[in-house]
Amino acid sequence: MNGMSAKYERLIDDLRQDFRPQREWGEGRGVFLVVGHFLVGVAAGAWLFGLLFAYLPGLLAGFVLAGLGGVAHLAFLGRPERFWKMARHMRTAWISRGFAGLTLFLVGAALYLPPLVLAAWPWSADSTLAWIGWAMAGAGMVILIVYMGFVYTASKGIPFWGSPLHPVLYMTYALRGGAAALLVEMAVLGPPGNDVLAALVKIWIGVTAVVIVLFALELQGALAGGNVAARRSVRELLAGRLALVFYGGTLLIGILVPAALVSGQLAPLGLGVLALVGLCSALGDFFMKYATIRAGVYLPLTLRRVRSG
Amino acid sequence: MKWGMVIDLKRCIGCYGCQLACKAEHGTPPGVFFARVLKHEEGKYPTVRQLALPVLCNHCEDPPCVEACPTGASFKWEDDGIVDIDHDLCVGCRSCMMACPYTNRYFNDQPPQYYSQGMTAYEQARSARHEPNVVMKCNFCRDRVRSGKPPACVANCPTIARVFGDLDDPVSDVSRLIKERGGFTLHPEVGTGPSVYYLPP
Repeated sequence: MNGMSAKYERLIDDLRQDFRPQREWGEGRGVFLVVGHFLVGVAAGAWLFGLLFAYLPGLLAGFVLAGLGGVAHLAFLGRPERFWKMARHMRTAWISRGFAGLTLFLVGAALYLPPLVLAAWPWSADSTLAWIGWAMAGAGMVILIVYMGFVYTASKGIPFWGSPLHPVLYMTYALRGGAAALLVEMAVLGPPGNDVLAALVKIWIGVTAVVIVLFALELQGALAGGNVAARRSVRELLAGRLALVFYGGTLLIGILVPAALVSGQLAPLGLGVLALVGLCSALGDFFMKYATIRAGVYLPLTLRRVRSG
Repeated sequence: MKWGMVIDLKRCIGCYGCQLACKAEHGTPPGVFFARVLKHEEGKYPTVRQLALPVLCNHCEDPPCVEACPTGASFKWEDDGIVDIDHDLCVGCRSCMMACPYTNRYFNDQPPQYYSQGMTAYEQARSARHEPNVVMKCNFCRDRVRSGKPPACVANCPTIARVFGDLDDPVSDVSRLIKERGGFTLHPEVGTGPSVYYLPP
């Protein structure tokens, strides 16, 4: 054995454990999947709020982030040169649906955005082609917001992800990420109006509250009604190998610091502070996703549990 | 026709013969075990006993890995119910690994040799069939089965703890053992309908 021996030894060690941690999604190249899901979620949210507030930089950010998310997904795949084959199984596979959503979104946005940005473009913003692009991007956005949570819920090997709240939680992450992205953009580029900025802050506060409630309910559900593997995952999250990421990244950076900033406790609420709120919020969402994915452990295979089951 | 396996836990002595026979048959890379033997101790000293639980792909009736696969690389043969992987279609997204409640799938991103000096002639011959950066798993030794031989783990079990046969045939050995000895599957609550049954120890 050579340089790979550490990974081999760890795998053998994992195989000996009752609660085998999943490492494929979130470790090594697996981090690209978390990054991809994070970016694509923020992209869809930014597009939604960009449309809602007629804020072109939001739409542009959505397009760029979705493109980067696609690249991150490709970097994760074992055989990225075959990526187009992922559209083959849309009938049952959520990854296929997500792939279709991302493709729709990117193609649609590529049709819709250029005439909004460039005056001399072959088709205008109110042309049929731009309208088709708007509709495609809108459909793609909905799929992107919805599909991610279901990818995890369909993973029957990891009971912690099987909560029916998981897809809803991922939808709210997308909204929170989109609001955060627009907060940063408006702080840097200037808001289109103070009422828009105030509305966006209210949305961010509301969605953040929903995220906190849903996440707490998911943990409570896993502890109260989940099986041994789901309970073990919660333990890993709250008091195990992911506690630092959870408390430091998710709670402190993602919730407490931005909440204190928005309340005006730490500094007067200005554009700079709102940019910081957006950045902390997005960073916290990334850590939340990372911690949740890494906390996943497989159903244990032991005779004792087979008998009691 | 639906191939299935019965593993008699009373006969299994945890010798790892099945694990090694599988390794020899498929020449799987380091860290990949299509067949494994899990050991578990129960009781308190001095009344302690060790239990062996051999595990492999369960070739489920309703395989979640097939549902989760975005490319159709994971599929089920219609004529015999074996769940298999078309490695030319696999993109290495590993969604099937997350979907499998029995953790019997492996991602092949390890070097194919065990020793730093490079591959042995045996490893070269065996690893040629394993595509890198795709997911691998047990296929009930389908090539052997189609040529009339039992899977390698069954053929090499020294205590005849493993029986292989047609679950759809009510008079086959597997069907009879399941019925007479109260065969059970792992994690029935997941509802996947495994084709690997265990007889109580």
